[in-house]
Amino acid sequence: MKLSTIAFTMAHAALAGSAMSLIFEIDPILLGGLFAILTAFIMGPFSDYLRIPLDSASMTLFSIYNALTFIFLMMAPGPTLASEKVGQILWGSVLAITPTYLLILFTLTSIYVSILYVFWGRICSILFDPKLAEAEGVNVKRYTYLLTALAGIVIVFTLRITGGFLVFSLLFIPSASSLQISESLKKQILTSSIIGAMASIFGVSLSFSFNLPVGSCIVIGAAAIFLAAALLSALFRRRIVEAIPLEQR
Amino acid sequence: MRRGMSYAVEMREVSAYYFGEKKPAIIDVTLTIPINSLTLIVGPNGAGKTTLLETILGLLEPRRGNIRVLGHDIPREAAKIRKLCSYLPQDFMKPPGEPFSVKDVVAMGIASNREFGKLGNEDWKLVEEALTMLGIAELADRPIGRLSGGQQQKVMLARALVRKPKLLLLDEPFSALDEDSRRFISTSLLPKLIDSGCTVIMVSHDASFTPPRCDLTIRMEEGRIVGVVSHDLRSST
Repeated sequence: MKLSTIAFTMAHAALAGSAMSLIFEIDPILLGGLFAILTAFIMGPFSDYLRIPLDSASMTLFSIYNALTFIFLMMAPGPTLASEKVGQILWGSVLAITPTYLLILFTLTSIYVSILYVFWGRICSILFDPKLAEAEGVNVKRYTYLLTALAGIVIVFTLRITGGFLVFSLLFIPSASSLQISESLKKQILTSSIIGAMASIFGVSLSFSFNLPVGSCIVIGAAAIFLAAALLSALFRRRIVEAIPLEQR
Repeated sequence: MRRGMSYAVEMREVSAYYFGEKKPAIIDVTLTIPINSLTLIVGPNGAGKTTLLETILGLLEPRRGNIRVLGHDIPREAAKIRKLCSYLPQDFMKPPGEPFSVKDVVAMGIASNREFGKLGNEDWKLVEEALTMLGIAELADRPIGRLSGGQQQKVMLARALVRKPKLLLLDEPFSALDEDSRRFISTSLLPKLIDSGCTVIMVSHDASFTPPRCDLTIRMEEGRIVGVVSHDLRSST
């Protein structure tokens, strides 16, 4: 199952919803959230009904949301792409972070971690082989929809900080970095969270120091960590290979 | 499992189709598999052997006919019955980057039968026993993707056995195993399992291989059953 592809689509659903909110001049979280949650609930049945893989269904929806985003942005009142509101949706803004917002993010994180903790065995089984998990009596659809819906909600709330164009970079780059340095799923989840946090701290500092967009700076920070992790991984693998006698290679 | 039941699987005139296919993958299949027996399903590639296993588990819904597994209707009661079954799929190989260890993969077999999927100390003991039974206890902490095909197939078999199934469905279980492992599983492990109350259905495209204990052989071709041999009665239809 391509959870990364699903998350990518969820990010664009939230972006399309946020762009639509510009037309109606309402809080981007409302429509962004609605789009993401609706996507979470229609993606699975869409894939099941048409009997196409979940990642193909995700990419179809992604294309639709991309098109909708640009249509909504063009329809938004005022100077398109140059206004502050459009800039916030596309590139994010550190000024959007309030104590209430932080509390919401903390609550969401707690809910996500609790669900992972309680259903860990079954979620691992689905990630390993969804068909086998289903053959063993796991309700694969129910867990997939649950995880997708949660991913959508998290993305909507992250959108304000990083912006729609960069939110998926923050989803992928830390996990790609963690794959370089961790082997087990538990370690991968932990290290990608730490890397995400490190990249955010780095990005916010850079943004304040040089007056640059915060979302872009966070992604640059994440990319720098990815590069370091890849170099570390390459070096470590080389040492392992060198430690193996030639005749055993 | 229901009391007084004499058949693990009963299928009557079952036809099943894959999505978008006009031709059924299995056609008018009628068969009965007694409990505590080993049934071997043979036939060439594309004969419908894997489809038959998937239909028994309710993974593929029949368009026609009736199925009862361990006394329950399939697909209506599939979710309940799957918890009593174990399945070893044909395509089990995992890539080197797979982030799960051998013991994690075996433990996944128990997760579906526990409340919320949470495992206790007793469950981890069962995992250890299953790995020891198949002689791969020393691989417990290794990532599954780094193992050979034969070792990965043993891990998947351990996952199937750790569930203590009433019905075990094996799809080409010996495809990656060496001769010694095949012999151990077919002459020692499977007979013990059957004696302990499990029914085994095994698919093989290799017609030359018959396990020493085999109660029924079903031959399939082009989605149909073309021959049934009961080894107790030594009669064929």
